[in-house]
Amino acid sequence: MSSNVVVVLDNGGGLIKAGIGGERDPTTVVPNCTARPLSSKKFLLADQLLSQTEDLTSAVLRRPFDRGYLINQDLQSTIWSHIFSSLLHVTPSSSSLLLTEPLFNLPSIQRATDEIVFEEFNFKSLFVSDSPSLVHLYEASRRPYDVVSKAQCSLVVDVGFSFTHVAPVFQNFTVNYGVKRMDLGGKALTNYLKELVSYRSINVMDETFLIDDVKEKLCFVSTDVARDLQIARRRGNDNYFRCTYVLPDGITHTKGFVKDPIEAQRYLTLSEKGELPQEGANEDDEPEVKSKPNKVDLTKNEFSLSNERFLVPEMIFRPADLGMNQAGLAECIVRAVNSCHPHLHPVLYESIILTGGSTLFPNFAKRLESELRPLVPDVYQVKIATQEDPILGVWRGGSLLASSPDFDAMCVTKAEYEELGSSRCRRRFFH
Amino acid sequence: MEDDVRRMSTRARKVAPKMVAALASTDNRTQAILARLEALENDNPGAELVEPNDDDDDASLDEDDDQVFQKKQSKGTKRKTRQAKALETAKKAPRTFLELLHDANLESLPPHVPSYLRAAVGPPSSTSRRDFCTVCGFSAKYTCVRCGMRFCAARCQNVHNDTRCLKFVA
Repeated sequence: MSSNVVVVLDNGGGLIKAGIGGERDPTTVVPNCTARPLSSKKFLLADQLLSQTEDLTSAVLRRPFDRGYLINQDLQSTIWSHIFSSLLHVTPSSSSLLLTEPLFNLPSIQRATDEIVFEEFNFKSLFVSDSPSLVHLYEASRRPYDVVSKAQCSLVVDVGFSFTHVAPVFQNFTVNYGVKRMDLGGKALTNYLKELVSYRSINVMDETFLIDDVKEKLCFVSTDVARDLQIARRRGNDNYFRCTYVLPDGITHTKGFVKDPIEAQRYLTLSEKGELPQEGANEDDEPEVKSKPNKVDLTKNEFSLSNERFLVPEMIFRPADLGMNQAGLAECIVRAVNSCHPHLHPVLYESIILTGGSTLFPNFAKRLESELRPLVPDVYQVKIATQEDPILGVWRGGSLLASSPDFDAMCVTKAEYEELGSSRCRRRFFH
Repeated sequence: MEDDVRRMSTRARKVAPKMVAALASTDNRTQAILARLEALENDNPGAELVEPNDDDDDASLDEDDDQVFQKKQSKGTKRKTRQAKALETAKKAPRTFLELLHDANLESLPPHVPSYLRAAVGPPSSTSRRDFCTVCGFSAKYTCVRCGMRFCAARCQNVHNDTRCLKFVA
């Protein structure tokens, strides 16, 4: 029965997405790190970090990934064995593994990874894939009449945890000479937000999990930075971006939360000129609202955000503002396309796919389109599609591939690995 | 010579030496920028980097007896010298990505082979950058002469000088 089990593992720097091939959704999505809370001596693994009761204040973090590449194999195999045994309930020796790895993985890292897979876990066979081709595969199968699947070609923009890749995919293969990378991803954004909040209100330099939550709930991409900065300068209730986040107090709640979610969502209804829609019903509320002091209550542990909310994701579009000597995302896309054959240019611009957790910021696609349009020749159409679920997109592609009939033939078996060694086997994956 | 100084305005006289000092030490600024970018990749930025050898060093109270016992025992057998211990931790500690990258020696590949180094997007086409005040976040007009960070008004400058100036310079 269990002879055909394929474990699909999207081993990201931030989150591990793991499940059984052929299913629609992964069984678990857990952080790829261990953390030790201040109160204990033990490091908590993967899913234990997600439990509601665990107090992760000032937890010390350890990640197996550094700058997007696997550097700590020991830690990674601890996390994997936990996932395989207590979350997926699979026996590696009777199953195959589909693993994703970052583009341009170093040979030494590949060798070490193969070693864990075959010698420590004893997997029956292994297939290694890069993420852009899996994203392409999933999108092509989901939209069979679209350009993506007709031309068998797409431009995958993966804004991940450690970095951002723009990768052209052609005939299900990533065009490796066309790939462009920006060294900026979700981790840097979280740390940047941490720095800003710590400097301006409360020291949260240790609270990675908390600030991750703040970033996911409150940050958004501005469509007009100059206008939004003007609005953020206003005082009191006219500042549509100001909102308050309540820190956990460790007694009544161990997780932080947004104080007033409706207030936090106000920016979504802003018109072009930066005005809120006027409603008759609003006028009745206004005196009440004005009487409410809009200041941060210092007795409670909370902090307010205003321009930080859009200045943080802004860095993906202009890393130069941070002092990083790299082009922004729009220019990155243009360079990736230009390094491909000219015949592909129109098709690539028309089939841009956004994936990766950091594309979840509201207005991301809209802003990208407005930045990209002036850089692309008029005759080409620009079409940006966001994945249904950018975090799981890669995994779903992997699941699809694992359930295809030729999957077994593409794998490298343990016997082959033992016979030929790591580097020879890797050639089969065309890396 | 003295004539020259007198002809300058008071402001120029005050600022000029500072400007000279700043231009002479552009090193400070690049150092600050690099340190800042490095800090963004750090997992535990709040804590001062503690060596991960907590398995033997920070024992809690209830384990004290155990440790004393262990120490007595270890005296009988061979003792590790400090050097040997350092060597061992260096071996155990995972190497950073930059070290691995250096070992991979990607520069030696022929120029047509795509690699990690060649995939980097490269510098932006325009050198213009928007400057945001490092204190309050709004657009900033002024640059700190010492560390190169931006600020927008005298108030923010004071805050900057008091708290942050040269923070990222070792």
